[in-house]
Amino acid sequence: MLIDKIKQALAPLNLEVADGDYAKTGCHLAVAAPPDQIQGVAQAMLDEGCFLASLTAVDLRESFDLVYHFANFSELCRTVVHVPLGKKKGMPTLSAIYPGADWYEREVFDLFGIHFFGHPNLKRLLLPEDADFHPLLKDFGASESND
Amino acid sequence: MIEYSLEEKTYTLNLGPQHPSTHGVLRVLLEMEGEFITKAEPVIGYGHRGHEHMAENRNYLQFLPNTARVDYLHALAYNQGYCMAVEKLIGLVVPERGEFIRVITAELNRISSHLLWLGAYLLDLGAFTPILYCFDDRENLLDLLDRITGSRLTYCFFRPGGVPQDLDDEFITGTRAFVKRLRTRFKDYDNLVTKNVIFINRTKDVGVITQEQCVKYGLTGPMVRGSGIPYDIRKSEPYSAYPQFDFVIPIGDKGDILDRYVVRVREMEQSLRIIEQALDKLPNGPIMAEKVPKRLKPAEGEVYQAVETARGEFGCYIVSQGDIKPYRIKLRVPSFGNLSILPELAVDTLVADLVAILGSIDVVVPEIDR
Amino acid sequence: MELLAQFLGSAGARMLVGLIAVIALVSVNALFLIWMERKVAAHMQLRPGPMEVGPHGAIQTVADALKLMGKELITPDEVDKPIFWLAPIVVFLPVLLSFLVVPFSQSWIIRDMNVGIILILAFSTLAVLAILMAGWASNNKYAVFGAIRSVAQNIAYEIPLLITVMSIILMVGSFKLSDIVAAQSQYWYVLLQPLAFIIYITCATAETNRAPFDLPEAESELVAGFHTEYSGMRFALFFLAEYTNMFIVSAIATVLFLGGWHGPFLPGVIWFLLKVYALIFLMMWFRWTFPRVRFDQLITFAWKILIPLAFANLLITALVLKLR
Repeated sequence: MLIDKIKQALAPLNLEVADGDYAKTGCHLAVAAPPDQIQGVAQAMLDEGCFLASLTAVDLRESFDLVYHFANFSELCRTVVHVPLGKKKGMPTLSAIYPGADWYEREVFDLFGIHFFGHPNLKRLLLPEDADFHPLLKDFGASESND
Repeated sequence: MIEYSLEEKTYTLNLGPQHPSTHGVLRVLLEMEGEFITKAEPVIGYGHRGHEHMAENRNYLQFLPNTARVDYLHALAYNQGYCMAVEKLIGLVVPERGEFIRVITAELNRISSHLLWLGAYLLDLGAFTPILYCFDDRENLLDLLDRITGSRLTYCFFRPGGVPQDLDDEFITGTRAFVKRLRTRFKDYDNLVTKNVIFINRTKDVGVITQEQCVKYGLTGPMVRGSGIPYDIRKSEPYSAYPQFDFVIPIGDKGDILDRYVVRVREMEQSLRIIEQALDKLPNGPIMAEKVPKRLKPAEGEVYQAVETARGEFGCYIVSQGDIKPYRIKLRVPSFGNLSILPELAVDTLVADLVAILGSIDVVVPEIDR
Repeated sequence: MELLAQFLGSAGARMLVGLIAVIALVSVNALFLIWMERKVAAHMQLRPGPMEVGPHGAIQTVADALKLMGKELITPDEVDKPIFWLAPIVVFLPVLLSFLVVPFSQSWIIRDMNVGIILILAFSTLAVLAILMAGWASNNKYAVFGAIRSVAQNIAYEIPLLITVMSIILMVGSFKLSDIVAAQSQYWYVLLQPLAFIIYITCATAETNRAPFDLPEAESELVAGFHTEYSGMRFALFFLAEYTNMFIVSAIATVLFLGGWHGPFLPGVIWFLLKVYALIFLMMWFRWTFPRVRFDQLITFAWKILIPLAFANLLITALVLKLR
């Protein structure tokens, strides 16, 4: 079973791995990882043949929560990896392991201002290149008006 | 002795943002050497409207129309993904008739999306006639969907808990007639297009995507099915009423444009099969769940719901903190990942090939920009 | 009085009448062909086409021409002015001159030169020069692209065209167009040289930049190719030249393969025009059915397939004639 193989592959990294409640959350496996371990997790997932379905961030006011979703073409097993990140901190990039993460990381940088170390081309993706704000931060828009 | 040095100079060509073949406002910055492309960089964001930001300022029901404007061609699938995510968070169960109606309308929408793709793609390749045939078929389809959903394009038909409007007899007879008519039309398309030598020469062995690239770039939808991976969320992670229907997943073998084209055409046929079976087995009963709260206030938690749209996997990730407005909604759209492979595919091709490859990825730029 | 009589009987008068007739024919032909194209396209696409202006949209083209004449002639700043202005004229003139030797019927021919066919082929090559002028002078990358593609395409497809024409000339023994028509009084050459006919039609479609060989004006890739920067009457001249070119190549095909003006009951001129318009209809049919060929495939097709075939046809013709 793929879920067991993934648990085995992630075992050496000593992370919090729990079975997800699929009926409620849509994920079979929930992993919590610190930022410096994310590349190890990604490599393990790639070795099991999983693809990166989504990469996003949630602004929890005092910190960020980066959410990585992995899925697999041959067997159903959705894995969600939560990475708590302090404000003003950066993340290592996954673009060397998953080239598809390139654009997702650019989008997160664009909308949240989170920096990804080692990214080949960390430019804004959706907003104009010379924009100076990050719109999905919770404290955006309260005092600045942008019409 | 004068020594001449031949400096290979490349020049920059800008494809778009206003261009007949980039479907939507997409700009591709090309670095060219003669007619060959050395580098292609898509520049997106011209249509960024801030849907995810809007989600944080609207309640769950108010955000529903936004999901339709993300990908306007297969809006019902996006409605479905969003509604199912909310239903999971609240714990609603959609009654069977509601699920069947959802499947029938979503599959009709899938056909209309593929028909438009077919016509527009062939227009890019220079064939001026198929798009009008496809739009003729689409007119019938849109009239059918207009009857019950009330819109022709950006549908806002599903609700968390079911569907608000039931099918009537005219819709059912109209759909059956449409299914029959489209089947005969597919023979025309096959003869005119799929077996045309010029078309085959333009699309065979062009834009090949390997299975490894599919995993590394996170591609989904007809892109991976064209490369031989039988991944369709309707089969591998069944949702709604799909487990009750008998259909196959068409796959290609090489991963070139011709394979992706054939996959999409066959998918339309499979959609017709699903619609027929759904109409035959349509059960009676309620169409909305009982006890849908007036103010949707899910408990704290998160959910990721994936559905199969015409372009690939649409993932709706909702983080709720127990409020009537969502805390964060992330719309994982298929075209975003699918387009990110373009720079790798475009190296050492001609501009004509780039246009063909871009069309075969089937991007809808507004969903990339959100 | 005497001078007038002398003038009227001379060859000069004949040329003048011919010139007026040709200009009239070219204009009416273009008007008719544009309407025909839109109707053919429409019916193949399951729609009626122009129906409002005149019965079944017959006067639509006149309305369009008047509109084009009223448009502002925009000259972008950085263009090469003399070449930019000359290009539409240079594209139109050779086609007009080709009408000198086309035999509409036994007596309706302006000047029956004994190098007739060579004259036409020589003039049709000048059109390539005009396209290059237009593309280069426009100071626009897309236009230059279109122009270069057009030059490569035209040169590549000229060669099989010339070789197939040579096969016919070998059989007739003369370059005079009226001789070629007269030689087909028993049976048309399309029956004797079907391969040459197919190659000729393919090359003719490519020479006139019609789909599926319309890369120089490929709308979905290059916006409008070599005439991107032309507006108003200048654009109309390019258009006019394209349709008149279609007429000329179809006329040559009729003369070489379909027996010219031969035919029972009806006068020669009517048969000639019927055959020419049938071939034009065929070219229009191609346009609305096929997608566009990719550029390198286009050139490969010309050099690696058409030229060997044309040569083979020529050799077989020569062999058969020698053995007879």
